[in-house]
This record gives sequence, structure tokens and C-alpha cells, in this order.
Amino acid sequence: MKYAVFIDGSYGITVAFLLGIGWLTFARYRRAVRRLRAVETR
Amino acid sequence: MNENVIATGRMSKTGAWLHYFANPGRFLRFVRPALPWAAAISIVVTVVGIIWGYAFAPADWQQGDASRIMYVHVPAAWVSMSGYAMLAGVSFFSIVWRHPLADLAAEEIGPVGAGFTFVCLVSGALWGKPMWGAYWVWDARLTSVLVLFFLYLGHIALIRAFDNPAHGHRAAAILALVGVINLPIIVFSVQWWNTLHQGNTISFTGSSRIYITMLYPLLVSTVGFYLSFLTLVCARMCAAIMERRTRTLLVAAAERAS
Amino acid sequence: MRGAKKRRLYLVLAIGLCLSAAVGLSLAAFSSTLTFFFSPREVVAKHPAPGMSFRLGGIVQVGTVQTVVNAGTPVTNFRLTDGQASIPVVYSGLLPDLFREGQGIVAIGAMNASGQFVASEVLAKHGSSYMPKDVEQSLKNAGKWNPAYGPPPPASEWNTMQVKGSAS
Repeated sequence: MKYAVFIDGSYGITVAFLLGIGWLTFARYRRAVRRLRAVETR
Repeated sequence: MNENVIATGRMSKTGAWLHYFANPGRFLRFVRPALPWAAAISIVVTVVGIIWGYAFAPADWQQGDASRIMYVHVPAAWVSMSGYAMLAGVSFFSIVWRHPLADLAAEEIGPVGAGFTFVCLVSGALWGKPMWGAYWVWDARLTSVLVLFFLYLGHIALIRAFDNPAHGHRAAAILALVGVINLPIIVFSVQWWNTLHQGNTISFTGSSRIYITMLYPLLVSTVGFYLSFLTLVCARMCAAIMERRTRTLLVAAAERAS
Repeated sequence: MRGAKKRRLYLVLAIGLCLSAAVGLSLAAFSSTLTFFFSPREVVAKHPAPGMSFRLGGIVQVGTVQTVVNAGTPVTNFRLTDGQASIPVVYSGLLPDLFREGQGIVAIGAMNASGQFVASEVLAKHGSSYMPKDVEQSLKNAGKWNPAYGPPPPASEWNTMQVKGSAS
């Protein structure tokens, strides 16, 4: 595939961003649920 | 606080239904059960769109395989602009009606929108080099999207810059509303000025200058990016509401103990 | 309480109106400097001084591209047109892949004393039409479009066209 570096780079940065922010958001959400449950059941 | 209670009491008043749904607790109750489904659908649609564009869409007659960058660049650009429009919308509600949920939304839209704008800029640069012969040029389209990125960054910084959160929300909302002037400039830049960036391919009023086998993956990818954006923002808002509730409960417990 | 809200609403709307008017006016005033490139017609009308650097944009005129290899570097002569005026351009170096007759390009450089534009950099401006190679071929074979002579026909004629032996 011609221009493979540029195509792979574009898709790479996109997938990296989506996975990164998805993981960060999920982790934050899970932590918020856990902390709230811990405080509520205390 | 007091005005919200009064408004909810009289549902016939304009904007009362908004007050009803703009309650963070109610938002959490409605949105939280939908989040796993929203996340699953977003992931599936986005993955299908990206793989379709990367591997199965036909190469372009003129640009060859480089046109595949379109399937991530264009949705990212659309989402970053719509995200800013949403940011401006919630800022408007924040300034006029002081909805607490609007401030929460503004705080969470910023980082996600900035990320999509960054993806748009980087994938655009990687598209520009092989096609135009330059990573970056200072034409009206590229410059106005860079301004959009800086508006996002300014908003992210401003909304967290004050000791009193209410002041930060007010200042950031004003910035978001002022910056909304940039959106029509981005959209019409390719018509108002000579730019190196191409004109619009997709048209909502006429027929789009794209063959149908390339249009479908573009649409799927766009829907995927939009769903991902909304899911991310909603999940972050839910997390923020729960974090706030945790803080409130801890403070109350500490006061009881003392 | 409702009065305060109404006041805030009108205040925001008024500020928005003033701001958009201000930005709109300044954009209109500065539109010439915001222009990324000049067209051949504007160059013919304005006669930029030789040696003054600017960007020239237009279509590569069909039948004017001549490349000579001079000591290892290709030197290309061609004319840029916007349909009304045309400017001779010379560029030494490798051209972008999309450079061809009928292609929109932007050249960065300056006029020389003999009225020729000496380009130091050539950027290709690709069109906004996307279609697979076989659709382009069948449009060409049907005599509906020649990429060297301008943009494709209205999109409704081809964006759902059936193509024999289409790969996808």
C-alpha cells in the first residue's frame, strides 16, 4: 500500500486516542462507583 | 437553588421541563443504566467504521489509498465542531439559567472535544504531507481549526482555574460563547477564501461528491465517533456526579463526627 | 427572579450580536490578507513587484507542462490558469504525486523580471470528488468527464452509478 506510513499513522493516533480516553473514562467511572458505594454503606 | 424548586412546581412555565431533567440526581438515574449499552454500541459501530475504511473501502481515483485517512479525519473534525457547539449550548444554559448540570457537562465536554480536535489536526497533517506536499499550511481552514483546538484548551484551563468553582464556570462559559463565532468560520472558510484545503465533499442540500461505496464507511465511522463522544461525555458526567456526592457525604460525616 | 433570568438572557444575546457583528466586519475587512493564494487574474491585474514573494494558485494548463532534467534536478515549465488569465511558472525540483495537467496547485515564489513566476515550492490542491478508479474510468469512457479539463459532472450523475466489474 502506497503512503502506508501516513495512513497507519492516522489510524494509529485515532485508535490510540479512542482507547486511551475510553480506558481513562472507564477507570474514573469505576473508581467513582466504588468510592460512592464505600461511603454510602459506611 | 430556590428558583429551581419554584420552577419545577409550575411545569407549564417555559423551561420547566429543562429544570426537571437538569437535576444531576435525575440525570444519573436515567443515564447510568443506559451506559453499558451505549458503550457497547459505540464500540461496535466505531470498530466497524474504522475497519471498513481502513481495509475494505475502495481506493480513490486521484489520491489512491491516502484517501482512507478521510474515514478518521472527517468524523473527528465533525465531532470536534459539534462538540464545541454543545459546549456553547450548555454554557448558554449555565449563564442564563444557572443549571448545575450544564456546568458539569461543560467541564466534561472540554477534554473529550479537545482530543477529537487533536486527532483531526494530526490525521490532517498526515494526509497533507503525501497529497499536498506539506504537513501544515496557514490557510483559513487549517488555521481556524487550530483556533478551535486552542479554544478547547483555554476552556479546559479556565474552568479549573478558580478557587471558587462558580467563578470558573462563569468565566469558561463566557469563553465558550465568544468562541462559538469560530464555528461558522471553520465551516465556510473553504467557500469564503482561497484555501489549499479542499472544498466540501458532503452536501446536505444537494448530492455529495463521493461514490456510494466510500460514503457508507464514512457515515458508519461518523455515527461511531458521535456515539463514542456522547457516551464518553455522559460517563464522565455520571462519574463527576458520583464524585461530588461522595465528597458531600464525607463532609457531612466529618461534621457529624466533630 | 424571572426578571433576573430574562435580563441575563437578553444580555447574552446582545453581547453575542455585537461580537458577531464585530468579527464579521473585521473578517470582511481583512479578507484580502486571509487569502491563502492569488489567482492568475489577480496577479495580472495587480502586477506584483518582481522578487516579492507570494502564493499563486490555479489550474495547470493542459499541454503546457515541459520537464527538462538539468544536472540531476528536473526543471518544469508550465502555465497556471484560472480560465481568464494564465501565468508561466518555472519550478526546479520534484513535483508532488498529484501534479498533472488540469490539477489545481498552489505555487510559492515570486515573479522575475521577464514576467515568469519562479516557484520555490509547489503544493497540489486536490479536488473534493471521491470515487473509485473504475468509476472514473467509466465516466471517461462514456465521454462524460476528462480530469484534465475540470471537475467531474454533477455528483448525482455518478455517485450511485453502477459500474461493470466494480471491485466493491
